[in-house]
Amino acid sequence: MSSVWQRNIIRGIFLLLLQLLLLKRIDITFGDFNYVHFTVYGVIIMLLPYSMNKTGIVLIGFLLGFIVDIFYDSLGVHAAATTFIAYARTYVLNLTSPTEGYNKSGLTASNYGLPWFLTYLSVMLLLHLVILYSIEAFSFVYIKEIIFRSVFSFIASFFFIAIGTLIFNPKY
Amino acid sequence: MSNVISLFIRYSAFILFILLEIISFQLIIKYNKSQKEIWANSSNRLTGAINEYVQGIEDFLQLQNNNDSLLVENAKLLETIINYRVSSKDNIFQTFEEQDSTKDYRLIPAKVCSKTLNLRNNYMTLCKGSRDSLFVGMGVISDKGIVGIISQVSDNFSTVLMILNSESRTSAKINSKNYIGNLIWSKDNTRIMTLKDIPKHATIAIGDSVSTSGYSISFPEDIYIGKVSDYRPGLGGNSYDIDVRLMSDLSTVDYVYVVSYNKAVEKQEIIESDE
Repeated sequence: MSSVWQRNIIRGIFLLLLQLLLLKRIDITFGDFNYVHFTVYGVIIMLLPYSMNKTGIVLIGFLLGFIVDIFYDSLGVHAAATTFIAYARTYVLNLTSPTEGYNKSGLTASNYGLPWFLTYLSVMLLLHLVILYSIEAFSFVYIKEIIFRSVFSFIASFFFIAIGTLIFNPKY
Repeated sequence: MSNVISLFIRYSAFILFILLEIISFQLIIKYNKSQKEIWANSSNRLTGAINEYVQGIEDFLQLQNNNDSLLVENAKLLETIINYRVSSKDNIFQTFEEQDSTKDYRLIPAKVCSKTLNLRNNYMTLCKGSRDSLFVGMGVISDKGIVGIISQVSDNFSTVLMILNSESRTSAKINSKNYIGNLIWSKDNTRIMTLKDIPKHATIAIGDSVSTSGYSISFPEDIYIGKVSDYRPGLGGNSYDIDVRLMSDLSTVDYVYVVSYNKAVEKQEIIESDE
């Protein structure tokens, strides 16, 4: 059990550092086109063990978002989004449950197959990004910006995470 | 009690979720400038919309009062115009302010209680009477022209002999020429009246405006009545019969002004002694 926690903690620190030190600085801009943002730290929540307590997940989601907010200088925005996906995780898992059910604790591609993982990932990531950019804009007046950012960031982040999964292929 | 605790434990994730979201939004609004502005703005917009709606209801309830006050206001303005006209004609050097204290004409606003328009002799009833200092013989005008003359007064009501009455006779003139004649109602059309006794040698054009002459005690001078729409030689006389199209549609008149003339008694006496 402790190795599962070690894995999650190490992964969390690694992804946070990656997000905050590297991906945050990546700025893909073509003139007015400034909609691509790599947002991958949500994977930390997605890969928490299946058996974990819902309350704990929500709490971790909030703390994670709060840390990201401190670095992004946007107190509350990421926290609200991560809290939301942390709470929604249970329901997304119910939606995308594989035929044999969740019999292993690690919600990874190596346990349940790549197609399942990519489905789970895309639902969670899309939720995360839509919520995140909606809260960031804070008004549906900017609906075009919200959609553009969500869609293009989703594509970029999705491929980033998918490639990472293929390279590391974690068991937990 | 244990049920309550178990309920809390069961929904602890949800409760925590809501709590943390609230905290997040508090943080957002407190520490992020643009979101704060949007929040303040849209909450203003919401309360603004509600306030406007409530104000609308209040305005509707106040409509009657507003109407009355507007009527008084209107009466004052018309009064001013009439008195100004009179004073500037009497003495061009006399300023209006001096004249103001001794106004010749006063307008008393009144609501129309009932009226007939489809009869040969039409009358109108006003919801004001001698208690509001209305007297027999006073002229009644609307903002668009003359209406009639008061023929009977009780304490709280008064009857107006409308211009659309076969007995009505109003002294009127054609503005551009200053020819004076009597305005009577001889047709069935409530918008057309006939101006009689205009001499044949007068040159009349269709479209000339017709207004009161100021010869009677009821109406001040230059109250607009209507326009010449047609004219023809009168029966066996030296005069024209002129059709005048009224500016006001009397069927739509709900509020009128009663003209009170200070010197009415004096003028009446001198006219009668003449005869």
